[in-house]
Amino acid sequence: MEPVTMAKAINLSLRDALTQDDSVLIFGEDVGTLGGVFRITDGLQKTFGAERVFDTPLAESAIIGICIGLVLRGFKPVPEIQFDGFIYPAFDQIVSHVAKYRNRTGVSMPITIRVPFGGHIGAVEHHSESPEAYFAHTAGLKVVAPATPGDAYALLQSAIADPDPVIFFEPKARYYLKEEIDTAREVPIGRARVAREGSGVTVIAYGPTVSIALDAAKTAEKENISLEVIDLRTLSPLDMPTILESLRKTHRAIVVHEAPVFGGFGAEIVARIADDGFDLLEAPLERIGGMDAPYPPARYEKLYLPDVDRILEAADVALAYG
Amino acid sequence: MADVVQVVPADDPVRPLFSPAGELTAEARSTLGLSPDELRDLYHKMVWIRRTDEEALNLQRQGELGLWGPYQGQEAIHVGTVAALRETDWIFPSYREFGMGMCRGIDPAEMLKLFRGVSHGPWDPRTYHFAPLLIPVASQVPHGVGYAMGSRFKRSDDVVLSTFGDGATSKGDWHEAMNFAGVFQAPVIFLCQNNHWAISVPLAKQTAGSIAERAQGYGFPGIRIDGNDVLGVFAAIRTAAERARRGGGPYLIEAMTYRMGPHTTSDDPTRYRTNVELERWSAKDPIPRFRQWLESQGLLDEAALAAINREVEAKVETMRNRLRATTAPAPGEAIFGRVYQHPSDSFLEEREEFESSLESN
Amino acid sequence: MADQTFRLPDLGEGLTEAQLVAWRVQEGAHVEVNTPLADVETAKAVVVIPSPYAGTVQKLHARPGDSVAVGAALVTIAAEDSTAAAESEHDAPRTLVGYGPGAPEAGVRRRARVAPAGTAEAGADVRAAPFVRQLAKDRGIDLARITGTGPGGRITKADVEGATASPAATPAAPPTDGERRISVVGIRKAIARQMVRSVSTIPQFTEFAVFDASALQAAREKQKASGRSLTPLPYFIQAMVKAVRAFPLMNSSWDEARDEIVVKQAINVGIAVNTSQGLLVPVLRGAAELDLSRIAEGSAKLIEGARAGTLGPGEMSGGTITVTNVGASGPVETGTPIISPPECCVVAFGAIKLRPMVVDGQVVARPGAWISISVDHRIVDGALATEFLTALVGELEKVSA
Repeated sequence: MEPVTMAKAINLSLRDALTQDDSVLIFGEDVGTLGGVFRITDGLQKTFGAERVFDTPLAESAIIGICIGLVLRGFKPVPEIQFDGFIYPAFDQIVSHVAKYRNRTGVSMPITIRVPFGGHIGAVEHHSESPEAYFAHTAGLKVVAPATPGDAYALLQSAIADPDPVIFFEPKARYYLKEEIDTAREVPIGRARVAREGSGVTVIAYGPTVSIALDAAKTAEKENISLEVIDLRTLSPLDMPTILESLRKTHRAIVVHEAPVFGGFGAEIVARIADDGFDLLEAPLERIGGMDAPYPPARYEKLYLPDVDRILEAADVALAYG
Repeated sequence: MADVVQVVPADDPVRPLFSPAGELTAEARSTLGLSPDELRDLYHKMVWIRRTDEEALNLQRQGELGLWGPYQGQEAIHVGTVAALRETDWIFPSYREFGMGMCRGIDPAEMLKLFRGVSHGPWDPRTYHFAPLLIPVASQVPHGVGYAMGSRFKRSDDVVLSTFGDGATSKGDWHEAMNFAGVFQAPVIFLCQNNHWAISVPLAKQTAGSIAERAQGYGFPGIRIDGNDVLGVFAAIRTAAERARRGGGPYLIEAMTYRMGPHTTSDDPTRYRTNVELERWSAKDPIPRFRQWLESQGLLDEAALAAINREVEAKVETMRNRLRATTAPAPGEAIFGRVYQHPSDSFLEEREEFESSLESN
Repeated sequence: MADQTFRLPDLGEGLTEAQLVAWRVQEGAHVEVNTPLADVETAKAVVVIPSPYAGTVQKLHARPGDSVAVGAALVTIAAEDSTAAAESEHDAPRTLVGYGPGAPEAGVRRRARVAPAGTAEAGADVRAAPFVRQLAKDRGIDLARITGTGPGGRITKADVEGATASPAATPAAPPTDGERRISVVGIRKAIARQMVRSVSTIPQFTEFAVFDASALQAAREKQKASGRSLTPLPYFIQAMVKAVRAFPLMNSSWDEARDEIVVKQAINVGIAVNTSQGLLVPVLRGAAELDLSRIAEGSAKLIEGARAGTLGPGEMSGGTITVTNVGASGPVETGTPIISPPECCVVAFGAIKLRPMVVDGQVVARPGAWISISVDHRIVDGALATEFLTALVGELEKVSA
């Protein structure tokens, strides 16, 4: 197969889901006629009609709220929230109902909420958020963030098939990343992958920061520093066995995400390592992420977001610890 | 302007049944087509759910329930609405529609587990087509609209009843849902039980406009009716439902009623309203009112009344005994049992660790 | 008929008490289920309490105006209902919500914490990352005996791995200008570390005394006559133990982390021994339970073992007070000994030799020796130290066979 972009891979994944499962519905703002502001749903309404793929009024809370009723009616909603910064109006429906409905009633909610997230695209306010921690913190949800086109295809298949609700964070800065994908390959939810093997420091990343971590590893190699990069792929549930196996080799770990560090998802990773992997550590655990300030205007985002230098600095510190 | 959207749909079969003041016309009342047994059953159910409400209050005072939200005064709506719908029509309630759940056949002793601290949702909504009682105000309204949209996709003639209070009509979720329903022509009956109070905030402070007339803004009709007349409620709901079944789309019914009790057992209404108002509304209490009408129609005599009261007392005593005999699920199951259909290993480990940390007293 | 005591429930989601406004029944009255019993006022409202039982009111447990805690008894009713009787055995809590002081517990609870047996050893002041500690533990290496080469003196993985290798493996720096460099490894290193730790963490002061060893020497002569040759050490130890019994603070330890002085029960005497490897301090355990000959045997064995390098960790640890020699012979009288942390006191005995002393106004030559004690000033002040030393001198001067 020709290499495809992540945007195309997600489009293919949605198309295949609509084909394989009559109960799958796709809806949200501008996803029908326009095919989505990132063209992720391009062509789907034409193929499957306006009762499978449709546009909704501009109302995020209702977009998620109707999912509950649609599930009870026998459908599998795959709604889109147009941008990360616009998920907040739907927060109550997600946290108070989608996440809790099965616990309340025994009825599962096979809902997959797709959200482009992350920055580095020179956008205006509210279009570069990383809100994953709020949802990883919510019991009843699963939170997924692919980093590559192939994983985006496979993980979306897994998310739609999962009877439990999944928040599917798509790194919009990687929508145009290209690679050959194998649509037969399955990636289960809850399994991280070692994106690059190494022996000196474990770098744990997800979504948009996986590429940065791999770039850092390439640079480090020239200095004879060996970084092992782990792409989490799923935030919740967290794949600790893969992380610990890496630590048995390296004894040092860094976490990289775009979200602000304070209270960010990296804190959970680091705390679990300190708990389950305490005796493996030769250096303190470091988190690299956005500053503890609102996401800045575009001109400053490169200073705000993690980059190769910040990762390498943290690796230096970890290696020098003794 | 040629492209003006028709704001008031021509097809409104509900309005002709009511006077401008929202009272069921005599003609409409006489052509409802309910048998004497069916009419007596409406009364029986109203008495049953009222007596249940009283008993629940007692149970709370006795420490058997942690909390109770009385619906006293709203029985005509609870009973009339369920009677007017098919069993296959789903109901998406707020948190006060306990009586509706009973009318749908859910055992009240089971429902009371909600208030006894042992469950957040003691019945399977799919069994009774009755969604869980939901607390975040108006958040249930989009759920109902989604269900109704699904019904349309499936070409079914089921309708959805979405019920909420006057306070809910201030919430964003309510407006979003109403708008969706208009755009998608979803077969939803929006029933606003306007009981004049949102805890301590009176209707006049909740909205400056009219609730019923908002429906026009969303592209469908709305009407304000006397919610303390069980037959009026019945007629409005049934007619609006029939319209929706035919593809006529949503309808908003604002049923005027009164919350005769406190918001919940943690509330003290003497702090914000007067007995004068309560007395005024007690004079319009739906139950004596319907009893008087039944008696005037020769449909209810002393013997029948006594029989109804006896049956109701028996049911209530059964409910009390069953409630007190309720067992709570084991903590591991209650906390971890229903969170995921496919739990992860780490989730299961956490449950195991939790369960092994417990011991019996 | 069984008496049921109805306890005040939490009437309003988190209330802890209510005030009884008025009773609506009297003792002896017959009530049905839901008969109004009382009016109570909570923080939120005045509430009527309906009876949960049918029966006869036996006792009203509060008076109007009383404040009743949630969970406290309100009224006892002799209940008619047999199911009610069954419930009293069932143990179901009456109060479902709220945590008033009288609220009974539910049927399941988290298991109670069990405090660990024995106190945790106060960790040595060693800096090493968790993995390095684990590695050392796995290899049976005592981190206190390793000097760290990492930043800030931290012990690294390489340090632990090298600890089993021979000391000569470390290349020496080339000598310059007539210097001679001696590589510091093993015991020398450990001693250095201990000494630094002692003087940098313990404020210690020293007091001196001279004791008249006539009685002690006489006792030794007597033993010798019976065929037992004892050095002064066992006598020193025995006298010290007696003095410690009178001043138990001398046998204690300062717990910085908890701001506590830990007074030890057992008196385990560390005996400083000069060996070819350096200063070792084997420990004579439970010296207070030993008689003189046991002390002599035990200490002799320990000294021999220390010199031969055959002692195990059990014999090298657990000391609560230390005794040392200064100048077994020759002109040196005494010194200022350094406390062995985490102890409070170290006692140094000088050589017994003839000294000029004043007895009954005359200068006479008597056998005597200096004693110097260094003491942790956080635990013991000068006055107490003086008393202890005085007592020690007293014990030594009245030694009998």
